[in-house]
Amino acid sequence: MSLPERFDCAETFQRLNDYLDRELSAEEIGLVEEHLAVCAMCAGEFHFEERLLLKLKLKAQESTMPDDVKTRVLQALYQAKEE
Amino acid sequence: MDRALTKEQFEEHLEPVLDTAYRVALRLARNPEDAADLVQEAVIAAFKGKHTFQPGTYFKAWFLRILTNAYYRSRAKKEVRSDDVPIEDVQEIYLFRQSRDQGIHAETTDPAGTIVDRLTAEGLASALDQLPEEYRVATTLYLMDNLSYQEIADALEVPIGTVRSRIHRGRNLLQKALWSVLSESDRAALGGAP
Repeated sequence: MSLPERFDCAETFQRLNDYLDRELSAEEIGLVEEHLAVCAMCAGEFHFEERLLLKLKLKAQESTMPDDVKTRVLQALYQAKEE
Repeated sequence: MDRALTKEQFEEHLEPVLDTAYRVALRLARNPEDAADLVQEAVIAAFKGKHTFQPGTYFKAWFLRILTNAYYRSRAKKEVRSDDVPIEDVQEIYLFRQSRDQGIHAETTDPAGTIVDRLTAEGLASALDQLPEEYRVATTLYLMDNLSYQEIADALEVPIGTVRSRIHRGRNLLQKALWSVLSESDRAALGGAP
């Protein structure tokens, strides 16, 4: 698929999710970032979404397996190893 | 030559993924007791099936596949919930629009961070719980670890395009659910209302 020389707002916005997930080609990333450099509205939206995902992932990954659950799970594994 | 993991190697691979596995199980099962059962069941099944793991591939994705399959088996025996976010009512950048309209962008240089900081872990869990199952599972895997689309596709045994679609839509649905989880007073406080 051939790409235009520059992306407009619509072409940039439709790549928002893939851009955030680093699933774009290097060429598309370049075109997105070129547009973001000159469009404050798109840049604001992208920055918000990027920041939102980062913060959500940090919050989601705060919790760890409780020690009593880990003990129970590993105990079950040791019993399975003995069989 | 037998390249199956030894018992010791299996445990070495398993320990670093237990936290992620528990976080995922907690969101799938929606309560700590069932989540612990789910992880335990998956650990035993993975150990007994360790000869199916190909060394050099992603142990985490392989294990999460076993975990999600164990969840789907257990789910088949239980009632299906119907209080999910309607999937036809999905708007892109929902939180951006809502928070802008609420005046939050005028009050801080980091509106997204400000909103999430207002959320508790329970609030995030509650929002995820509102998602229809296929989006909840994919979005949970996406948030609970830094897995790639391919690793999530391997875990769910679906095409990568399906994962991409579910995560994108799941994130949109999650944004709407997050806004509903924030109380009215939270939203007013974020927007600088007296």
